[in-house]
Amino acid sequence: MSWHAFLPMAIVLSSLLPGLVIFGLREDQQRLRVTLNLLGVTLKLLLVGSMLYGVSQGSEYRFSVPLLPGVPLVLQADALALLFVALSSLLWALTTVYAIGYLEDSPLRSRFFGYFSLCVSATVGLALAGNLVSFLLFYELLTLATFPLVVHRGTPESLRAGRVYLAYTVGGGTLVLMGVALLHSLAGTPDFQAAGYLLEQVDEHDMALRVAFALLILGLGVKAALIPLHGWLPQAMVAPAPVSALLHAVAVVKAGAFGIVRVVYDVFGAEALMQLDLTKPLLWLAAGTILYGSLRALQQRELKKRLAYSTISQVSYVTLGVALLGPIAAVGGLVHLVHQGLMKVTLFYCAGNFAETLGIHRIREMDGVGRRMPWTMTAFSIGALGMIGIPPIAGFISKWTLGLGALEVGQDWVLLVLLGSALLNATALSPLGWSQLIVEREFAI
Amino acid sequence: MNAALVSLLLPLAGALLLILLRPARSGRWVIALSLGALVAAIMALQVVLDHGERNLLVGGWEAGLAIRFRLTPLAALLLVFTAGLHLLVALYTARIAHAAGKEDYWALSCLLHAALAALWLSADLFNLYVTLELLSLVAVALVSLAGRKAWKPALNYLLLSLAGSLAYLLGVALIYGRYGVLDLALLAQLTEADGVTHLALLLMTLGLMLKAALWPLHLWLPPAHAAAPTAVSALLSALVVKGPLYILWLIWSEIAPVEFGRDAGLLFGTAGVLALLAGGWSALRAPRLKTLVAYSTVAQLGYALLALGLLLLLHLNEPRLHAALWLFVLAHGLAKVSMFLAAGELQSILGSKRVTGMRGASQNVPIALAAFAVAGGSLVGLPPSGGFLAKWLLLQPLFERPQHWPWAVGVLLGTLMSAAYVFRVVAHGFDRARPNPPSIRPDRLAQWLALLPALLVWGLALISEPLLLWLGGLGR
Repeated sequence: MSWHAFLPMAIVLSSLLPGLVIFGLREDQQRLRVTLNLLGVTLKLLLVGSMLYGVSQGSEYRFSVPLLPGVPLVLQADALALLFVALSSLLWALTTVYAIGYLEDSPLRSRFFGYFSLCVSATVGLALAGNLVSFLLFYELLTLATFPLVVHRGTPESLRAGRVYLAYTVGGGTLVLMGVALLHSLAGTPDFQAAGYLLEQVDEHDMALRVAFALLILGLGVKAALIPLHGWLPQAMVAPAPVSALLHAVAVVKAGAFGIVRVVYDVFGAEALMQLDLTKPLLWLAAGTILYGSLRALQQRELKKRLAYSTISQVSYVTLGVALLGPIAAVGGLVHLVHQGLMKVTLFYCAGNFAETLGIHRIREMDGVGRRMPWTMTAFSIGALGMIGIPPIAGFISKWTLGLGALEVGQDWVLLVLLGSALLNATALSPLGWSQLIVEREFAI
Repeated sequence: MNAALVSLLLPLAGALLLILLRPARSGRWVIALSLGALVAAIMALQVVLDHGERNLLVGGWEAGLAIRFRLTPLAALLLVFTAGLHLLVALYTARIAHAAGKEDYWALSCLLHAALAALWLSADLFNLYVTLELLSLVAVALVSLAGRKAWKPALNYLLLSLAGSLAYLLGVALIYGRYGVLDLALLAQLTEADGVTHLALLLMTLGLMLKAALWPLHLWLPPAHAAAPTAVSALLSALVVKGPLYILWLIWSEIAPVEFGRDAGLLFGTAGVLALLAGGWSALRAPRLKTLVAYSTVAQLGYALLALGLLLLLHLNEPRLHAALWLFVLAHGLAKVSMFLAAGELQSILGSKRVTGMRGASQNVPIALAAFAVAGGSLVGLPPSGGFLAKWLLLQPLFERPQHWPWAVGVLLGTLMSAAYVFRVVAHGFDRARPNPPSIRPDRLAQWLALLPALLVWGLALISEPLLLWLGGLGR
């Protein structure tokens, strides 16, 4: 097997193999564990970098082994895959370093980092997946690998959160399986194609295609936290901060949004969806989620919960951009995928720092934090401003592009949704950025 | 002598020698014998793949008088499967002595192996009856090895099993009275859709469903499988219930007139979906770990029954459904061995039989819990495990026509149900607030042995494409 055929698999293995070795380590082998983690991180970044370079030089990377009759397991590097792989590898690298520091001296680290590596392997795998069945395989693996991280603390609350998480995601995974199997029986499972591969089936199987689309979007919508399927995300906040970062920015929620992008563009295609008249419901769902998430974020008293609802709202920008079906809106959605990842990771690291250093969990307790932890607070403020969408932070660019895209396809009302959400976000997040600096209040550590 | 007969005679001879001589290290003898049987079965499989199906006449008599054995590719595959699982369980039991119950386990497990091997090879209704009867009696004896508390479930098992045999035998007698032959190949050409045949088929089906614990005739299974010693539970769930299922498949796919097939298919399919739901629900509510696993067998047999029903309902020559049926049997066998051995390890190490006693298992008994979870993943049907492959094949023909979609909803609900009871156990394992400390020192090798079949069932994905194509061709 040539290097070009193996590189996508090598990117998956670069975190999978260290992860499996880490499972076998004893708790006190701290140095070896850190070495393995950093080795995996470096290797993955190097491999992803070489793939980016190779693709820019015109090389093609495609890994394929037989899986089901007529459906190989395909890993390939197209533009969308590269975007997501680069994003999650980078954020995983940062989060691993953060987690090594965050979990210093806490128990069961081998298990934690083992599953952490499995998680990112699954994410990278589903990013590179070249057809629906391969995507499904890694999608389910991601669910399984995340569960032990959500319940890592092993307390009754985290077990409850884990149970809710499983109920939602396994249910969603089953729906995705059904959707994939249904599509396979209609049109087989070819590789993802830039304009979809179902256009020819529209006349003959319009009912079945609608059902399949609904199954897939509902199943993926669980991880992408579309309402009313978002219930697990705020609950999962009991997990340690690196896990929250993983759920919100690196892997899980992103995997759902990424899956929706794949299904809309590379499986069904804009043309087929237009003919089936399926984009309107998706658009409404996304717009509703954006407003609902922003609104609920306002009501939360706990910092991490407020951030969780803000994620629910922000990730739906991606879905919104995709559902608009215009080229500009799609760019806006994808840029937002990257931007939201970067900003959310920042916010969760900061929230973790507040919790660990000062014992702050609730928003009420945050007054005066800016003086005690100025650097963390600066980072937090930049993240918050980005969430609101203030120029020149990337959040502004993605929202601007989304707005332009909406105008381009004649859905002007979307602008109101964007504006409303920006206002709500400003109310929810900006006081955090200011009152701590201005107000100085005594509080217990 | 043919390799298939060697694979049958080795465990039979082993059983007799173990009973007569009572050697000191029975476990090692059984491991050696089942390894030999496995090699012979693989050779038989090789032969049948190269030269096709063949008849084996025992005792040198002419056809019609001799006991006719028939070596088909499927029978050869099942021989390999039986010998392989027997070897795995024997390895585990040799390591963990209390998993066997009593020393008599070794002779009985060999006899069980021989009875099953004879069942896979048999080609006439009466032979099948004899092997089935032997199988059930040995299984009852094995259950009772667990001691006094297992006597009641074992006795129930015996009585219901005898009732099943009687119903089956009555059906066979009716067939013999009507047609005068019992050979499957001859009957396949003779049977007509008349009242006597109908009644005979009904009786045989009832008897077999009772013996295979197919819903709604499953009530004897959970107490018996839960009360048996660990190694016995693994053998019973993985192998024994598959015997009557195989006969059921033979009867309906070979000798039953096509006119009856549709009704029976509807019946089997409905019973299968209900088994998935009812069995899953009971597993979800079961207070004890082994009862949970036993109910999961009832539920999982629902998949096989559904595949059989759809086979009759849609097309008898639909290769994907044949492959799905036998893949369910193989994947369930492997996963269930792993699950019962893991459950035995968890129980004895943590000193509790209750599901809630598994708290903290992810720290204290990580490999056994991993075995349970990985095997459970295949039962749920997570890709790319064997259970997933089977489910994928089952769904494909269903999705092709919208009028069959309700069956797919049944599969969906069954999947959710299995996920719920598997994760119920796993979630307790991650409870760190109130962990249940180990009461004995864990044996790592035994836990790895429990994990091995679970890894094998996931490893099926590596050879899935040729395997599925080949299994699809087995239906003739």
